[in-house]
Amino acid sequence: MIVRFTLNNKPVEVDVDPRETLINTLRLRLRVKSVKRGCERGECGSCTVLVNGYPVTSCIMLTIQVNNADVKTVEGLVGDSLFEKLAKSFIESGAVQCGFCTPGILLTAYAGIKQGRIRSAENVKEYIGNLCRCTGYVKIIEAIARVTQEAHE
Amino acid sequence: MGEFKFIGKRTPRRDAEAKATGSLKYTYDLEVPGMLIGRIVRSPYAFADIRRIDVSEAVKIGAVVVTPDDVPQKPYNPRLISIQEATFKDTYILTYKPRYLGEPVAAVAATSEELAQRAAESIRLEFERIYKPILEPLEAMKPDAPRIHERIMKGDRWIEVENNIAARLDYEEGDVEWGFEEADVVVDRTFKTGKRYHMQLEPKAVLVIPEPGGRITIYTTTQSIHNTRILISQLFDIPESRVNVVRVPIGGSFGSSIQTNYLVPIAVALALKAKKPVKIAYTREEDILDHSNFVFHFKIRIGARKEGVFTAAEFTNVLDVGAHQVQPYPLLGTCLGWFVSMYKWRNIRYRGLAVYTNKVPGCALRGYGAPEVQWAVETIVDEIAEKLGIDPIEIRLKNYVGKGDIFWGQGPTVKSVIRSDGVPELLLRGRDIVGWNRRGHPQEKTGRFRRGIGVGRGFHTSGAGGPISGEVIDYTGCILKLNEDGTLDYITALQDHGGGTLDAHVKIIAEELGVPPGLINIASASTETTPYDVCTHASRGTYVGGECARRAAQIVKQKIVEAALRIIGKAVNPEALKIGYDEELKQPVVYIEGSDTKITLAEIARTAWQRNWGTIGAFVTYRATSAPPSFTVYFVEVEVDTWTGKVRPIRVVAGADVGTPINPDMVEGQLHGGFAMAWGMAFTENTVYDQDTGEIMGRGLITDYKILTAADVPAPEEFTVILASTNEPTGPYGAKGLGEAAMNPAVAAILNALYNAIGVRFYELPVTPDKIIEALRERGDLGW
Repeated sequence: MIVRFTLNNKPVEVDVDPRETLINTLRLRLRVKSVKRGCERGECGSCTVLVNGYPVTSCIMLTIQVNNADVKTVEGLVGDSLFEKLAKSFIESGAVQCGFCTPGILLTAYAGIKQGRIRSAENVKEYIGNLCRCTGYVKIIEAIARVTQEAHE
Repeated sequence: MGEFKFIGKRTPRRDAEAKATGSLKYTYDLEVPGMLIGRIVRSPYAFADIRRIDVSEAVKIGAVVVTPDDVPQKPYNPRLISIQEATFKDTYILTYKPRYLGEPVAAVAATSEELAQRAAESIRLEFERIYKPILEPLEAMKPDAPRIHERIMKGDRWIEVENNIAARLDYEEGDVEWGFEEADVVVDRTFKTGKRYHMQLEPKAVLVIPEPGGRITIYTTTQSIHNTRILISQLFDIPESRVNVVRVPIGGSFGSSIQTNYLVPIAVALALKAKKPVKIAYTREEDILDHSNFVFHFKIRIGARKEGVFTAAEFTNVLDVGAHQVQPYPLLGTCLGWFVSMYKWRNIRYRGLAVYTNKVPGCALRGYGAPEVQWAVETIVDEIAEKLGIDPIEIRLKNYVGKGDIFWGQGPTVKSVIRSDGVPELLLRGRDIVGWNRRGHPQEKTGRFRRGIGVGRGFHTSGAGGPISGEVIDYTGCILKLNEDGTLDYITALQDHGGGTLDAHVKIIAEELGVPPGLINIASASTETTPYDVCTHASRGTYVGGECARRAAQIVKQKIVEAALRIIGKAVNPEALKIGYDEELKQPVVYIEGSDTKITLAEIARTAWQRNWGTIGAFVTYRATSAPPSFTVYFVEVEVDTWTGKVRPIRVVAGADVGTPINPDMVEGQLHGGFAMAWGMAFTENTVYDQDTGEIMGRGLITDYKILTAADVPAPEEFTVILASTNEPTGPYGAKGLGEAAMNPAVAAILNALYNAIGVRFYELPVTPDKIIEALRERGDLGW
């Protein structure tokens, strides 16, 4: 099946089996390696991508579902001021350890702030459902909260 | 200690940008032309004999297939930390006799993941016999129990396995009977843990590339590139010089790749047969079948006099090791070591047994038995304090093993004297910060939500070094060289699991040389370009690796100064020259104090190159003569919902004695992560086995293995980190390790807080809400 969508601001066209998951299209066909495979059950969030601005776990989404959609990964957000602020905040506050969960959490946080779902430091905790095994989330919450405050000031 | 220029400062880790922008490649991200994808065929039964493996369909669809007939049939142990004579070998790359559900029996490689999966599914296993799995060590030890293994190898000789006992270690010191007679109070308890899974975010992966001339290159998720090379060399009879293992960034590990993971030799076998590169990446469910922790069964009896001094301790430790040994023998030693190094028991007796069951092989998980032992000990110590009417902090201060005492955390063959000790400082400061005196008694607490405060004190070693060479291998090595433009390359085999180990080394080198960290490159590493390092484990990265780096920097510094003297000429001797950062020139210089004479490091490097003086560099191999304890103290406040049995953390005070913190951000990160893992160990994490089939319930799906999410941890402002003002004389700039100490006593603090809230102690982990409700119901105290 031919599927057309926008990936990181560029139009792409792929010919996929209807059963193919978005993560496999992104990683194996389009070589987007920032999308990490952590569980393939939609649980860990390492494979998070933005589809029309919403964070989704690409391991349980079919590629045919993104026909005509706008798909973004961290590669496509380099240069975006909110994303750069978030990434900088993560880097400077020690919120990155092994880094495997980092792209997914950054995308979730980016969408949350952009869509006004993360409004304050308090609801960062409730909003970020991605799993991280290294940091205990404390510095991740702080890094996101810092940017949230700035965004609403 | 003077002011440091770089050490102790908060600095961002240098790989963070590549991680945040997704450009850093992990093993699973690697691809090479012509690469095949491998899949493993696993036993659907926990204990069985296979008669025949029919691979005809797989071959027909073009897959490369390996069965037990295609791989070397010699027993191995995937973990090479112990010396050979103390290494127990019972694992085969592929086997006709699977001993746990999920054990690899065959493997395939094909041009795509889908084709490989089809080929794997087409393989038919004919079973000769299917046995009922043995899942409990106490059952497995019975004389009439079927034998999971009959003969295994210890070092290079075969030994018989009796009563499914994989390894044992006994120890006695003093007169235990007399000690218990002297006691005014004796507490006797039985403890059992869950079988936790590491849940590192990156499932294990490997890429093997065979090359002409019989060489192979391996990229894999490992904590020890050198031990992976040695194992593959031994298993396949390929000289080490023809096996190159490359260090790849790793997505967390927590002990799960101290050993070479089972997929590595399987991928090597496939690649050698296919004569093509082969990549295998576990699914999450396969990863759970590759490694999880041991199950710990403890029986502990402790006696104390009424003034709060211990008189005797007896500790029986039965480890459920699963179907194969990933070296539980040294774990029997460390459990004893953690126990003995907690408090002065005066008279002790230890009996340690490692027992086979038909479960996923157990391996180290952050702390190597210390979180479990410290939970048990700190529980009993709290109980004794209560019985004697002594404050829990006081009884700890009175009895703990501290400065000047002998410490042997890593077991009886790794002893050293404690030279730095921040315990009193951490206990007393933490007590004030958490508000210890407001904790009250559980009997006074009523209503639906009840809060409690608890304390846990413990430690971990920094590495496994010592003055004498024992049963544990522990040394490292590094190369540091000055490049032709004055920058430096730092070359080490140590791994960074995410804790910032190599960044710490760079800061140490920068401090020693007086040059900015930005000038120092962390070079890519592989076994053929680095001196041996045993493994990045045992919280030794900063302490052992950092000291090795410092020593290399010391040598390089001396050589830089000598070269500078050759250029400048007028100083009386090298000691008259200093290295420092010149603010005007914005680069490091060598200068003579009180004179205008100076020369830039870049100029020295350039001159040495242009005048053929040779490379300024150092090659150092280093073994630490000590394995000092990093003490940690946790104070935790919890709130229990007596209607639902749910517990949530309210407040945490994490105190750490890491000596000099190299980077406070990374120190805090370890404590935050350690607490979260401890909370999971206390309340949620377990892999439960179906007693009939030996299958992990929920088929090992991650959806059934609950680690904490951001919503479950305390708010950042309620998590306070305090650091002791200590200095470890044997560590680089006074530093010690932290990765494991960051977690170890937290479980005890959490469960002591739970007791303080509801007045119930739990001796079996995890403490799930139903257990809490049941305990409250029995007491007629459900709060509603």
